[in-house]
Amino acid sequence: MRIGVAGKGGSGKTTVAGTLARVLGRRDGQVLALDSDTNPMLGVSLGLGPEVTDLLVAVRQGLESGDTEHQPTIEGILETFGRAGPDGVRLVVVNRIDQIDPGCP
Amino acid sequence: MTPPLRVAVAGKGGAGKSLIAGTMARLLARRGHRVLVLDSDPMPGVAITLGLGPLGEPMLAEAVEKDADGRWRLKKGIGAARAVNRFAFTAPDGVRLLQSGKATADGLATIMGSISGFNYVAHRLAADGVLRAWSIVGDLPAGTRQAAFGWAPYAHRFLVIVEQTWPSALTARRVIRLARSRGDVDVWLVANKVDDRNALTVIEERVGEKVAACVPDDAAARDADRDGVALLDRSPDAAAVRAISALTERLIDSTR
Repeated sequence: MRIGVAGKGGSGKTTVAGTLARVLGRRDGQVLALDSDTNPMLGVSLGLGPEVTDLLVAVRQGLESGDTEHQPTIEGILETFGRAGPDGVRLVVVNRIDQIDPGCP
Repeated sequence: MTPPLRVAVAGKGGAGKSLIAGTMARLLARRGHRVLVLDSDPMPGVAITLGLGPLGEPMLAEAVEKDADGRWRLKKGIGAARAVNRFAFTAPDGVRLLQSGKATADGLATIMGSISGFNYVAHRLAADGVLRAWSIVGDLPAGTRQAAFGWAPYAHRFLVIVEQTWPSALTARRVIRLARSRGDVDVWLVANKVDDRNALTVIEERVGEKVAACVPDDAAARDADRDGVALLDRSPDAAAVRAISALTERLIDSTR
C-alpha cells in the first residue's frame, strides 16, 4: 500500500499520516513514513517527540553537507537516514529548509 | 500620516497568518494608510480574510512575457506601481491585493509567469517612487521555504504567528532563526488562539522567545473561517479583532 496525504495547512495531514503509519505498522510491522514537507513535523505525530523531530537529518542536507557518503541504493538511503519509530515505522525526512538559501547557482 | 509599515506574516499552517494579515491590512487602511497585501501562498487564504472571497485567476499572467532567454519579466512599460494599479484586486477599505497565483489541478506550471511577475514586484517595492509610501502586508505560505528563499525582501518586520502546539512552536523557532539571519529584520512573536495565561508560558518555553502580542482564542474567528467570510465584517467587535487592532496600533507606534 502506498499512500500520499495532502491538504491545507493546519487541516491535519501530519496527524492523519502519522497515525495511519502506526496503525499499519501494528498490522504489518513494516512501514516507511516519508516526510516530504520542507518544514518536517511527521516525527511529532509518530511519537518521536518534538526535540528529536527538530534534529533529524534530512536526506538532501545529509548528502549535500558531505558528512554522509552517498548511498547508491534506496535501501542504503533508508538505512542511513531512516529513524526507527514505534510500531515498526521507519521515518525518513526528505528535505528540510531551515537555512537561508545563499542563492548560489 | 504615519510612516508606512512593511511586515511579512509567517508561521505554521492553521496558526492564523491570513486572519492576522488580512484584518491588519484593513485596519491600517482605515487609519489612512495606502495598503498593499502580497499573497504568495499558492493556496487560498488572505483573499477571504480581507473580505473578497476566494480568487482563482493568476493575476499577473497578462502583465508578463518571456524574454529572449526564456525568462519571465514584466512587459515593457509595466513597472511595479503599474502592475499593482492594473492587476491588483481592490478589497474593502481600499486595500489592494496582489496574488502570486493559485495552484490549479495542473499544478504550478500554468501560473509560473504570474509568480515570476509577483516576485519582480516584491523586489522593487522599496525602490518604487509610488509604492515606497505604501504599507505592505505580506502573507507567506505555511512553513519555512519562502522565509529561507527571501520572498519578503520588503519586510522590515516579521510577524511570526504561533499557537500552543509543538509543531507550531517548532515552525516559529525555525522561521525566527531564518528571519534573524537576514540581519536587518525585527521579529515579533504573535501568539494566537490563546485561551489562558498558561498557554502563553507554554508557547514562550517551546519557542524560546518572548511573546510580543497576543490574540485570544475566539469562537467568532472559527465561525468566520468555517463560513469563508472576513471576521472583520462578520464580527467587527470580536475579541480577536480588538487584539489585532491593538497590535496594529503598536506596530504603527513603533514605526514612528
